[in-house]
Amino acid sequence: MNPHAKLIFSLSLIMGTTLTISSNHWMMAWIGLEINTLSIIPLISKSHHPRAIEASIKYFLVQATASTLILFSGMINAWLTGQWDITQLTHPTPSLLLTTAIAMKLGLAPFHFWFPEVLQGSSLTTALLLSTMMKLPPITILFLTSHSLSPTLLITLSIISTALGGWMGLNQTQTRKILAFSSISHLGWMTMIIMYNPKLTLLTFYLYSILTTTVFLSLNTTKTLKLSTMMTSWTKAPALNTTLMMTLLSLAGLPPLTGFLPKWLIIQELAKQEMTPMAVTMAMLSLLSLFFYLRLTYYSTITLPPNSTNHMKQWHINKATNPSIAIFTSMSILLLPLSPMILTTI
Amino acid sequence: MALTVMLLNSACLRGRCCRHQVLHPLLGSLLSDSVSKLYSSYRRPGTQPEKKTSWQNTDFSLKKGFDVLKTQLSMLKKETEDYLTGPGGHPFSQYLLEQTRVLWEFRSQEDLNKWVISSDVEIGGKSEVYLTLGRNNQAALLYGTLNTEVPRDGETKYSGYCSMRAKPPVGSFGRKKYYDWSNFNCLYLRVRGDGRPWMVNIYTDPYFSHQKDDLYNYFMFTRGGPYWEEIKIPFSKFFLSSRGRVQDDQHPIWLDKASFLRALSICTLGFTIGDKVDGPFQLEINFIGLLNDRAHTEEFAYETYEKNPRA
Repeated sequence: MNPHAKLIFSLSLIMGTTLTISSNHWMMAWIGLEINTLSIIPLISKSHHPRAIEASIKYFLVQATASTLILFSGMINAWLTGQWDITQLTHPTPSLLLTTAIAMKLGLAPFHFWFPEVLQGSSLTTALLLSTMMKLPPITILFLTSHSLSPTLLITLSIISTALGGWMGLNQTQTRKILAFSSISHLGWMTMIIMYNPKLTLLTFYLYSILTTTVFLSLNTTKTLKLSTMMTSWTKAPALNTTLMMTLLSLAGLPPLTGFLPKWLIIQELAKQEMTPMAVTMAMLSLLSLFFYLRLTYYSTITLPPNSTNHMKQWHINKATNPSIAIFTSMSILLLPLSPMILTTI
Repeated sequence: MALTVMLLNSACLRGRCCRHQVLHPLLGSLLSDSVSKLYSSYRRPGTQPEKKTSWQNTDFSLKKGFDVLKTQLSMLKKETEDYLTGPGGHPFSQYLLEQTRVLWEFRSQEDLNKWVISSDVEIGGKSEVYLTLGRNNQAALLYGTLNTEVPRDGETKYSGYCSMRAKPPVGSFGRKKYYDWSNFNCLYLRVRGDGRPWMVNIYTDPYFSHQKDDLYNYFMFTRGGPYWEEIKIPFSKFFLSSRGRVQDDQHPIWLDKASFLRALSICTLGFTIGDKVDGPFQLEINFIGLLNDRAHTEEFAYETYEKNPRA
């Protein structure tokens, strides 16, 4: 892509995100969301492949609808209460509309159908942006309005998301779709705790972003788009494969890795709020996702492929490993001992 | 005044005259008694004259409805069981270990029914094509005569093609089914031709109707000998064409949502002969399969060029 165009789209993405997360007027939040949508569209359709174009159109339609609903809920709230402040969403009708709109934006079940298709049609780097950066503004809006949203609806959305994210990820063979369902599952966890402790939602989101970034960057280095390629990726970068295994287990939420921290804190908070059945349900549903994470771990690192590879080690790969992978990998594996420090700040 | 117009309109409607002019121009022709079409009534020479509309041919009986519902529900049940088994209805171990897969084998009439033959008779030409089972029911025999005589309808310039195309797979309740061919990178055919060149077409049912004429083609040159030949065509060799014209903007086929005609979502496979040579042709196909050739690392055989180069 033309570097000037790439710069403009990247800066617009940053600007749109910053605009939304720093705004307290519904109109500014909507503008930021729209800028984000418009700037990611060319990045998704960069390769001009029909699948990429399909993904960008699907993304645009869903996001535009959701943005409209967000603006509409803000307008109804302004009509009923006389003010446009995001934190003062007091009427139940706009709250319901906003929850639906945010669910569409994030890809929470049952509004998740676009997410795997869009991720599958885009490149790994763009998929990383879609899973992390594009989720920050809607989660911020959810954080700001969490006190006035319907708890029943949020709990229902979160349980369905965790369940569907786990179930539908089981039969997938394409890595991007697997990560899409992993994202849906994690969003379920984030939504579950937002009414009781919104800061835990943000913590979960930040840690999930770090983990997902590591996984996407590792897969991008080895150009792993499907499971069969994953089985032979150890020939390209053996050390990276090992750290990918640890990162995937961290994403699954296994102690003593970083990914365990949000799940532990959420279950603890739910138990404190006397929502133990919910905590048990979430823990059981995350076993489904654990199954496919373990499968990925087995295929990438623990087992050798059944077919012979052309060479023992591909000493010549097209691009060097991104140095930021090392930083992100360290953070995604080793942050659990720092949890007392993290807990005091949230 | 408005009342007068309304009364006149209602009288016209009740009188069933000029109904199509009174009502909405589009709906009027649907509501009128005559079998008039919304499009031109010109009929191409190869097509049969339509005496009854398609909805008049449909059987609306309750019993048939129940039978269809039962069939569709059993298909849905099978699809759910396949989903629980693993990707594509096979266990995961099979997905990871398989390097070859046979897609079509021609051993019975039922296998032949999954294919459709067509020729330029549709546009008024004179080619003939037939599909039968070969000797000992071991192969499909596609044979006929190619005739490049152009139909005299004033608009057709070229003629002379015959083709065989697989029917797209349909799931329960008429949904499109997709296969995952991402594990393979070559098409493997065991054929015995007559020396004539054939074109293998892959149609991927695109998301947008703008791309409904998109086809991925490659050529298959057959030997005429008495021996069977096994032809391996990598998917990286297929080039994109639309309505028969090779496109400038080329891209490789994506195979992850394969339905044999679409690329990536491959929907159907087809064989076409159109080498501008009049005369008989014959192609025997033993089986069509897929192969994962690990030595083949090419992603796409054609390089793209800048369409509007600067200076």
